[in-house]
Amino acid sequence: MKGSNFGYLVKEGVRSLWVNRLMSAAAVGVLVACLILVGGAGLFAVNVNSVVQYVENQNEVVAFAMDGITDDQVEELDMDLHMTPNIGEITLVTSEEALEEWKERMGENGDVFDAYDPGEIFPVMFRLQVEDIAEMEDTVFTLMQHPYLQRVNSPQEIANTLTSVRQIVSIGGVLIVGILVVVSLLIIANTIKITVFNRRKEISIMKYVGANDSFIRLPFLVEGLMLGLLAALLAFFAVWGAYEYVLHWTAEIQSSWIQEARQYFIPFEKLYKPLMAAFGALGIGVGALGSMVFVRKYLRV
Amino acid sequence: MVEFRNVSKQYDNGTKALQNVNLRIDKGEFVFIVGSSGAGKSTLIKLMLREEKPTSGEVIVNGFRLNRLKRRQVPRFRRTLGVVFQDFRLIPYMSAYDNVAFAMRVTNVSAKDIRHRVPYVLGLVGLASKAKIIPEKLSGGEQQRVALARALANNPDLIIADEPTGNIDPELSYEIVSLLYEINKCGTTIVIVTHERELVEKFHNRVITVENGAIVGDTGEVWDERQ
Repeated sequence: MKGSNFGYLVKEGVRSLWVNRLMSAAAVGVLVACLILVGGAGLFAVNVNSVVQYVENQNEVVAFAMDGITDDQVEELDMDLHMTPNIGEITLVTSEEALEEWKERMGENGDVFDAYDPGEIFPVMFRLQVEDIAEMEDTVFTLMQHPYLQRVNSPQEIANTLTSVRQIVSIGGVLIVGILVVVSLLIIANTIKITVFNRRKEISIMKYVGANDSFIRLPFLVEGLMLGLLAALLAFFAVWGAYEYVLHWTAEIQSSWIQEARQYFIPFEKLYKPLMAAFGALGIGVGALGSMVFVRKYLRV
Repeated sequence: MVEFRNVSKQYDNGTKALQNVNLRIDKGEFVFIVGSSGAGKSTLIKLMLREEKPTSGEVIVNGFRLNRLKRRQVPRFRRTLGVVFQDFRLIPYMSAYDNVAFAMRVTNVSAKDIRHRVPYVLGLVGLASKAKIIPEKLSGGEQQRVALARALANNPDLIIADEPTGNIDPELSYEIVSLLYEINKCGTTIVIVTHERELVEKFHNRVITVENGAIVGDTGEVWDERQ
């Protein structure tokens, strides 16, 4: 194909967008709607996951050392805990620190502890952050085997509930986005099919005057690419606007748990790159591939 | 130029459109193919354009053995032809000029040659002044002349016209066929498929009559003797 012809065909693709503007608008509209649904579902799932992650991080396991543990043994235990899998942050609370903590909590009545040696009533303990609460039971079992530990307290029920929530959000998110992608592809495919069907006569004319398949396809490819790109851009800005609106709206809700959760909503600045890439790939891919596939049917003249 | 050797065509639905057709059209001829509806004229055209393949027999057009032609070779074959249809088949959003130029772009003709050739062929069909007008603003006769100019654009050896006068007034029909007649004088072979016998009778040329999928009359020999 000559360069001048290539330029001509690209121009034809652009011109055809305008000539068939009604169908182009319909195709872009459908594609934008589908991308918004997919993007919205994706962002919702990502944020719910982030909030669940935060709640998970609030759960800690408390490991109590045996009575009469020496400083060397505490050091050894601390090292062992650092080696234990699935344990994140480790905070050592000495008997004295525990005593001070309780005194503070008791307020005016804090002096009741004055009569005791801290080591007698408050054993040395470690506050352990569990990295994956789905594995909490196994981690607690491992800790229980340690000779310097007498007891391990863990919020197992909360851990199980959170694990279930996370699973539902993850699987549900993937499922919803997956279904939306399939439905979107079907709707978009149909729209492109109609667009190409409306121009079947034009394609047959091209075939009769001796145009080869690539000559016919290129303008459709350009058109599909541009429709996809346009739809991706429109959907991106629409989702961006809607996301910022939701963030702003939730800020005004007088609910302590929403305000708490809100801190863990992911700002758009952290999401725009993957979102733009996904929209671009989906929009351009669907637009270009769809055009190519459906033009093929009418090339057999 | 065009040769049918024992050609039969049966469609998938069982319709026998052509049966054992033998036909030869030589270079420079001006031939009418006539017949009533359903006689097999359209199938003849489809076979000549390699839109369909024969069930049996062999079709040769412009030196291409169409039975053996692969799909990717079809565009190259079609560029050796000019085709005119009853419904004009012009691209609606392109001007008369662009419709003609399009047929040349397809064959990779340079922009310079297109600029030179298109006004010339539009002039040949009497539409030089309407080059910038889109098809829907032209009359039926004018649209058919644009189609004719498009068929002429690549200077083909053979022009196949399928009911070229079917959608235009009788007086304009004569004009279109006359135009084809003039083109034939320059050496281009013309095959016109029509059901308008009155029009055919005005021109003393070879007439092939098709009925029930078979050639039942061919004035070719008579015409040859007269020559």
